[in-house]
Amino acid sequence: MASVTLEGVSKVYGRHPAVNEVNLAIEDGEFLVLLGPSGCGKTTTLRMIAGLVEPTQGVIRIGGADVTALPARKRNIGMVFQDYALFPHMTIGENIAFGLRERHLDEVAIKRRVSELLALTRLPGFERRYPDQLSGGQQQRVALARALAYSPTLLLMDEPLGALDLKLREAMQVELRRVQRALGITTIFVTHDQEEAMSLADRIVVMSEGRVEQTGTPEDLYRRPASAFVANFVGKVNFLAGTVRSVTGAVCTVALADGTVVEASARADCSAGAAVRLALRPEHFRVVPEPSGAAKGQICGTIEQRRFLGNVVHYYVRTKGDLPLLVEQAGAGPVLEVGERVALSWLSEHALAFAGGERGGTG
Amino acid sequence: MARDIVKRELTGAARWRLFLWPPLLLSAALLILPQASFVWMSLHKNLGMGLVSPGLVPDNYLRVLSDPFYLGSLWLTFRLSLTATAIGLAAAFPTAYLLARARSRWISFLIVLLLISSFVTIVVKVLGLSLVLGQEGVVNQFLEWIGIVAEPLRMLNDETGVVIGLVQYTLPFLVMLLFSVIQTIPASLEEAAELHGATRLSTFRRILLPLALPGVIAGALMTFNLNMGAFTSAVLLGGGKVLTLPVVIQRKIFLDVDYPLAACLATLLVVMVFLFNVAAALALRRTRHPLRTP
Repeated sequence: MASVTLEGVSKVYGRHPAVNEVNLAIEDGEFLVLLGPSGCGKTTTLRMIAGLVEPTQGVIRIGGADVTALPARKRNIGMVFQDYALFPHMTIGENIAFGLRERHLDEVAIKRRVSELLALTRLPGFERRYPDQLSGGQQQRVALARALAYSPTLLLMDEPLGALDLKLREAMQVELRRVQRALGITTIFVTHDQEEAMSLADRIVVMSEGRVEQTGTPEDLYRRPASAFVANFVGKVNFLAGTVRSVTGAVCTVALADGTVVEASARADCSAGAAVRLALRPEHFRVVPEPSGAAKGQICGTIEQRRFLGNVVHYYVRTKGDLPLLVEQAGAGPVLEVGERVALSWLSEHALAFAGGERGGTG
Repeated sequence: MARDIVKRELTGAARWRLFLWPPLLLSAALLILPQASFVWMSLHKNLGMGLVSPGLVPDNYLRVLSDPFYLGSLWLTFRLSLTATAIGLAAAFPTAYLLARARSRWISFLIVLLLISSFVTIVVKVLGLSLVLGQEGVVNQFLEWIGIVAEPLRMLNDETGVVIGLVQYTLPFLVMLLFSVIQTIPASLEEAAELHGATRLSTFRRILLPLALPGVIAGALMTFNLNMGAFTSAVLLGGGKVLTLPVVIQRKIFLDVDYPLAACLATLLVVMVFLFNVAAALALRRTRHPLRTP
C-alpha cells in the first residue's frame, strides 16, 4: 500500500495541454475519484500514474519514491481498463494468473492465489471459462481480480463501470467498495458520473480543462463548491445573475437582474459592484403559494411544470427574465399546481455568489 | 396461397442462383483442366521430338524419385521457400505492427504505396533488384564505404539473390495481411499486459503472437506457396545457376522438349505444396483457435 503524489505534472500533446500543472496528494489506503467531463484530462492523469503516458513535466511519486521514469511494468500497479482488456485467448484462471506468472511464482502459489481472488470477487467455478462466455459484470470482476492478484501497491480504474446498466453499476459500486475496504488498497478511480463519484469516493478531485478545480470530500464539494463549475458539475444547481450591492461580513446583498434585492453568502472575491452568479441548490428553496406580493428577499414566479417523483417533487418555476428555476420540495408536503403563483426564498448561507455572472437559469 | 408465394420466392432465389454457375464452372474448368492434363501427361513416356507413348506408365515418377538431381532440386525449392518465408515474416511483422499501432495520417498513404508496389510486375521488381544488388550496385558501394566489406559481395546469380528476390516480391502482401490482423487486436490488451508486469518480449510471446497467429499462419502459407512456384526471381536473380523445381520444369519443356517429365515434376510440386498446406492446417486445428467464439 502506498501514498501517491503528483507535483506540477503536465502533459502536452502538440501545443494543447491535456493536463496542466496538476498537484495531487493521495493518502495511503484512500479511495480517490478523478471526476470531470470528457476531455478534462482525468484519464491522461491516470495513465501518467500508471506509466502508460509519459508526463511532459512534473514528478510522480508512489510511496515516496520518484517513479516518473520507471516503466509501467516495474511500478507494481493494478489497473482495470474501460474495456476490461481481458485476454480473450486465456481462461479466467489464466487471466488472473497473468501477473503472477510474469513474477515467476511457482504453480502451487499461483493456483492458491487464483482461487483466493475468485472467492474475493465472488466468481467461484469460473476458472476454466473464457472471457467471452461471461457477462459484462462478471468480466468486470475478472478484470478486478487480475489487477489485484499480485498484491499491487496501487489500484487504478478507468471508468470501469461505464459499460454496465444502472442496476448492475450500483451493485458493482457496493462490491468495489467492499473489496477496496477489505484490502485497504490505495485506489484511484476515474469517472465522469458525479453520482458514482459521490457514492464511491473518500475524496473527489474535480478536473476541468486539464486543471484541478477542487479537491474535497463529496460533502465538501456539494456544500462548499469552490467555483461555479464545481457547483454545476456536482449535484444540480440554479444560477441567478446579479450585481453585488454591499458586503457585510459573511453576507452580501445582491441585486438580481429583475431588480429584486436578495441576500447571499459572501465569498472572498465578492466586492460591491461586481457581477455575480448566485448558485442555489433545488432543495434549498422555500416555496410559499399565492403571495400577495414579493416580500423582501423573495422572488416570484409561476409553476410551469411539475414532476412528482415520490420522495420529492420537482417544480420548474418561471421567474421574471430568467430561465425556469428547478425547485425541489419534499414529496410528503402539500403539492402545488401548475400555473400557481409562488414566492421563493432561501437562507443566505445557501446562496453562493460566484464572480462573473451573465447566465441565469438551471445549470 | 401462402405456400404459392413462398414457392415463387424460392424459385426466384433459385433463378438468381443460376447466375453463380457459369463463373463457378469456368473457374473449375480453368483450375482442373490444366492440372488434370499435366497429371495425365506425366503418366506417359517421352518418345522424343515432343511425341509421347500411348500407354500409361509410372516411369517418370520412378525416374524422378530415384534421381538425386530432381530430389535435390525439390529440396532446394523447399529450403529457399522456407527461408524466404521466415525472413519475410520476420520483416513483415514489426512493420505491420508499427503501421497498425501508429496514430499518424500518413499511415493510409503508406498502405496505398504498399498496395501499388504489390501491383508492379515481378520482372520490373527483379530488374531493380539486380541493379541494386550488383557488384557496382548501391548496396555494395555502401558496404564498402562504411568499411564492412573489402570486396563487393556476391548477391546475384546465387541462392542469396533468389531469396532476396522472393522476400521482396512477397513482403507487401505479408505486411498488408498482418496489418489487418494486428489492427483487430486492441492496444489496451498490450497495455494491460505491460501494467501487469510483462516485458515487451513477454507481451509479444503471450499476447500479441497468440492473437495474431491465425493471420501469421495464413500469411506464412500464402508466402510459402508463392515462393514454391516462383519462376521469375529464381531464373533472373539465380542467373541460371539456382535450379529450383520451376526452373527445371521450364528447362525440361524448352530445352529437352520432355513434356512428360516436366509434367511429372509439376505434379510433384503441386502435391508437395498441397501436402504441406494440409499438414499446416491440421497442426493449426490441434492448437485451440486463439480468437475463439463459444
